[in-house]
Amino acid sequence: MLVLICLGLEGTAHSFGAGIVTDDGSVLSNEWDMLKPAQGGIHPREASRHHSDLGPSIINNALEKAGINYNDIDFIAFSRGPGLGPCLRTTATMARTLSLKLDVPLVDVNHCVAHIEIGCLESRFKDPVTVYVSGGNSQVIAYAGGRFRTFGETLDIAIGNMLDVLGRELGMGFPAGPIVEKLAKQGTNYHSLPYSVKGMDLSYSGMLTAAKKLFSEGIPIPDICFSVQETAFGMLAEIAERAIAHTKKQELLLTGGVARNNRLTEILEGVSKRHDVKFHRVSPSLAGDQGAMIAWNGILQFNAGHTIEISDSQVLPKWRTDEQDIIWRA
Amino acid sequence: MKELIAQGAESVIYRIERWNQYFVLKWRQSKPYLFKDIDSHLRKTRTSRECKMLSVARTLGVRTPAVYAVDLDDFTILMDYIEGVQFKQLVSTLTENQLKGFCLEFGRSIALLHKGDVVHGDPTTSNLIIDSESRLWLIDFGLSEMNATIEMKGVDLHLIHRALETTHWDLQESMLEATIRGYSDSLGKDAMDILSRMEEIRERGRYH
Repeated sequence: MLVLICLGLEGTAHSFGAGIVTDDGSVLSNEWDMLKPAQGGIHPREASRHHSDLGPSIINNALEKAGINYNDIDFIAFSRGPGLGPCLRTTATMARTLSLKLDVPLVDVNHCVAHIEIGCLESRFKDPVTVYVSGGNSQVIAYAGGRFRTFGETLDIAIGNMLDVLGRELGMGFPAGPIVEKLAKQGTNYHSLPYSVKGMDLSYSGMLTAAKKLFSEGIPIPDICFSVQETAFGMLAEIAERAIAHTKKQELLLTGGVARNNRLTEILEGVSKRHDVKFHRVSPSLAGDQGAMIAWNGILQFNAGHTIEISDSQVLPKWRTDEQDIIWRA
Repeated sequence: MKELIAQGAESVIYRIERWNQYFVLKWRQSKPYLFKDIDSHLRKTRTSRECKMLSVARTLGVRTPAVYAVDLDDFTILMDYIEGVQFKQLVSTLTENQLKGFCLEFGRSIALLHKGDVVHGDPTTSNLIIDSESRLWLIDFGLSEMNATIEMKGVDLHLIHRALETTHWDLQESMLEATIRGYSDSLGKDAMDILSRMEEIRERGRYH
């Protein structure tokens, strides 16, 4: 049987990735590199330079690992948005160039939707409530009426961003999430922090300010990390529970870069038991920003008959999760 | 007799019969996956807050279940059982005019709260009950707050908007329009600032 092969390019923020996936759902390769600024946050221009510098070799590595040639690629998928403009444009340019050069179709993928669908591929979930947590996003999403609807999200900063900013304040490198998780295990004293849930939305800025204040008061860093994790993840658990109770769905999916956190996973596992729903945490290699999820979503869209002309393929930095018609689920 | 009628996000709801009458027993269970201090703090504050705010809302003219007893050791509230249906489940069965009528009433109820500087905190269509006489009741006041600012009221409206677009996507425009109209008519000129704050909040969490 002939299989279709898709090359997916991801480059919405600080990571560039190339993944090769077949239409039977096998990930043949998934290569990526993340820009790690020596200090401060991500500068969009530097990140886009990172992508243009390393992109071609990452793509070559992906092909090599998959054991295929450029001519074996049936179509190209790319992350059209949402994300940082310069990064999106650099990635889209590579995708368009390859599409023209190889004379294969181009498919535009929504980055957030791709995080959900790669989780569904791995878990075989049909219709989950998804907790999507990363550096730039904290959303609780579920499918309804032809779209992935955002039932709840952060009203200010994303959880990953909150952890990174806090980490910088505490003198940690980027990304700070894994360091916070490690130190939190050594924390013993819980310090109360603002717990801010509004319906199915939440807010982290007040907690961040209060956590910085604990640091200035000389509270040991492990205790701060412990208190921050327990509070921040408790809030996520609550909005996930509200979404499950409201939608009555039977599956809970954890995806995005912060899905790598074991404590968050443990808490959401507890949520799933309480509501008697299935739970899956996306495996570490598919959790963060990478090309395999873009390729897989590209396959879903291609098989549903969707491709895009290069002349229509301008990037969409503000493309929201709920703005795309999910034709392959209709 | 104790009958489980709903498993909520933070509580279990039973219907019980006493003195030949039905009551709701709302129990905020312990969540073993949360850190114990957070768990007990939430159970305690939400229970006492709900208890108080159900009565405060009632004095502001909003239909809410009356509270008969509260147990802060076990985190339970005993309150009226409202014989009716969740508005969420009713929406698809209503005529356009009926739907509009309930949305106007929903908007008016939220305005009555806001007039008294109270926010509901979780104003979804799951937390509205329509009784057999077509009266609208507001329930679930665990996230409700007093001394509400324009920001807090704006968030309340934002949550209504969000609930309509996610749960009633095919009717969201007419439902939102009617709800906002009921709200504005009831609140008068003060509504303007809150409505523009709602728009501002909506943009904050998104890509723009």
